[in-house]
Amino acid sequence: MEILIVAPLLPLFPLSMVYTTLFGRLTHPWARAALLLFWPQAGLLALAQTDANLADGVVVWALASALLYALRALALREAGLWIAFMAVSCWTLLWLFAATPAPRSLLHWQALGLSAPLVLLTVLNANIARRFGAAYAGVSPALAHCAPKLAGILTLTVLAAVATPLFPGFFILFALVMHTAPTTPWAAVAIASVWLLWSWSGARLIQGLVVGPAGSTPLNDLGAASLWAYGIGLTALGLAGILLAGALL
Amino acid sequence: MTLTTPLMVALPLICAVLIQAFGAQRRRRRIARISIGGAALTWLLSLMLLVSVLGNGPGTPTTIGPLVLLADPLGALLALMVSSIGLLVRVYSVRYMAQEPGYARFFTLLELMSAALLALVAAGDLITLAVSWHLIGVLLYFLLGQDTRSQSAYRYAAWTLITHRFGDLPLVLAAALLFHAYGSWSLPQIFAQMNAQPTAPTVFNLPLPEVVGALIALSAFARSAQCLLHTWLPYSMAGPTPVSALMHAGIVNAGGLLLNRFAPLFAHTNEVLFWVFAMGLVTAVIGSVLMLTQHDIKRSLGYSTMGQMGFMIMECGVGAFSLAIYHLIAHGLFKATLFLRSGSVIGDARKQDRVPKDALYTFVVERRPARAPLPRLPISMATLVLPLLVLLPAHWLITGTVFHPQGAVVLLFFGWVTGAQLIYATDRLRLHTPWRAMAAVFIAFLVAVPGYLFISHALAAWLYPDPALQTDLYAAAGMDAAWFMTLMSVISILMVCGWLFIYHTGQRPAGHHRRRGRHWLHRHGYALISAQRGTINIGYDALGRRLIAAANRLNVWLRWR
Repeated sequence: MEILIVAPLLPLFPLSMVYTTLFGRLTHPWARAALLLFWPQAGLLALAQTDANLADGVVVWALASALLYALRALALREAGLWIAFMAVSCWTLLWLFAATPAPRSLLHWQALGLSAPLVLLTVLNANIARRFGAAYAGVSPALAHCAPKLAGILTLTVLAAVATPLFPGFFILFALVMHTAPTTPWAAVAIASVWLLWSWSGARLIQGLVVGPAGSTPLNDLGAASLWAYGIGLTALGLAGILLAGALL
Repeated sequence: MTLTTPLMVALPLICAVLIQAFGAQRRRRRIARISIGGAALTWLLSLMLLVSVLGNGPGTPTTIGPLVLLADPLGALLALMVSSIGLLVRVYSVRYMAQEPGYARFFTLLELMSAALLALVAAGDLITLAVSWHLIGVLLYFLLGQDTRSQSAYRYAAWTLITHRFGDLPLVLAAALLFHAYGSWSLPQIFAQMNAQPTAPTVFNLPLPEVVGALIALSAFARSAQCLLHTWLPYSMAGPTPVSALMHAGIVNAGGLLLNRFAPLFAHTNEVLFWVFAMGLVTAVIGSVLMLTQHDIKRSLGYSTMGQMGFMIMECGVGAFSLAIYHLIAHGLFKATLFLRSGSVIGDARKQDRVPKDALYTFVVERRPARAPLPRLPISMATLVLPLLVLLPAHWLITGTVFHPQGAVVLLFFGWVTGAQLIYATDRLRLHTPWRAMAAVFIAFLVAVPGYLFISHALAAWLYPDPALQTDLYAAAGMDAAWFMTLMSVISILMVCGWLFIYHTGQRPAGHHRRRGRHWLHRHGYALISAQRGTINIGYDALGRRLIAAANRLNVWLRWR
């Protein structure tokens, strides 16, 4: 029963729909960013309060939810919805960490490491929508031609979101596989499958938003200040990944 | 030497930053100067590393953040190869990419790829290995998609990425199992513990080396385009030619490097190497057959790489790990040359096709008499016997044995088949100076075979100085003697039947009425093999589309929540 209180916060399907509905209702990027940052932290706090031993059933449920949302993200074209689904797929993996003997004190940092690229992507998504009307794969103009700097930052942020080295997600998933593979190999294989689906859907999103024929849309690229801000954000993410690697592995 | 390896890896990274900072799109000359200057310095550092390892032996591992770099013979040798090919590709790209958009991006990606490849060959622990292995796949995706206007280039690049990611994950699983068993990420420490423990730990009731070996082999198969995981290789030709050269000369060889890096682990396995051999053999045969049916030079080279990678993996499968390294270096150098030359070859072919003329054309148009065929019996004997006369004494002179171990017998057999095929193909060319061509073939064989054997033997002694390890590797690759003899006999019979079939086909006069069944085989067999290259792709494509359609249906059903 206690699990059901935490389940919407570290979103397990179908209770994950609470979060995805709320994310969809919020239109302001900073509100969405705040949701991405604080929702899993609230879930972890609630999990700590329950002090419950996680049964195997919960682990299976979490993995199934992660796989389901990773699979569903494959078919998405709208970047905002992709962020919401990726967030669910990422956060459900925190249940698996909670079930391993790894120190629970690190869970908040792991949640932050998984959410931070999605926060950056939310801000970028709003930026693209403001300039081109929508961030919709295959419909928005090819960013590589009309906004090459924005395209570059977007690509790097999507890579961070799908757990590419040296961003935090990579080391978090690496550590998760390290903890699960020796005892529950099927779980490790499932995590690997989730990871593969993330990469695939990330590649599809990049292809849809960045690639395409050069259109007649005038150049409407990022300014120097924004470029520096995003660059610093991504560098910080990379450094955080290296620091997290030291703590996790 | 402590600083040489980290500097060698860091230099391309610094160049990438400099290109982005100072190389605006219009300043192409500056970009080229930074890139080539950096590549030349990297090459010098890799040479210094090799000389140092040759003189002083392996160095101590260097730790930078979460990464550990090792200066051992395998890493030093391959670092020189990677930096050499990297330098060539950059020099070539300066003019080749001059008219292309995204010049700075292209060179930045090349620099990053170079750093990732160098980190891979120098990786001293499982984390560095996994990080660089993963990054290479991601960077290749963007290099293949250099043309951001082309959706098809990105579609094939995405296939490459997915196949590579499929291969990354077994490596991560293997790393996790090794860390759990031995409590260390360091490769030398893991191998030392493995040798110290007489009984291997078990995982899922199986010996750990078998499970980990199988996972490592699966990773290597995906990266080295082995059968069923090969579709990305020939279809990734939409990328710029320098990327094809880098991919076929460097990246695709990573499977051989990975197997060699884990050679001490494979010495503790029983079954895995047999499956590695089988996969390599199937890939070598399929790749070579598909290569012969291609009309596009780059795609033909692509399938040729597949065949060569099959042979390289097969060499590991028979226990000849160091020979695979020699093979990948030799293949890397000649394939890079072929790719970089492919554009000129197409240009030359437009002026003069150089297709050999048949006897009728020579006689009627060029008014030269058709050449008489060489006497059949001596040529048949030479085809079968001459390669053996070179191979067996050369092997005996260098190794001191003739038919030992099994791996050497397999490779000698392949040498014999290759030599015989070369003589046979030369005879079928119907040249006007046939005896001179035959003599040239024989002399080439006489020089190449002992050279190949000597270099591979010397390389084995340098890369794996412990003779016990080499013996263990051959023993791990060995199979039951009866099975071995049966397999060799079946393959020999198949080869001889194939030659007889081709000989019989060649002897039949033009316009000779063929039997219906055989006619069907000639016409449809060729079409079937030509089409086969696409069948697997179509299958994967359909699978991908179905998965996405299922995801779409789920989304609609769940109202996008």
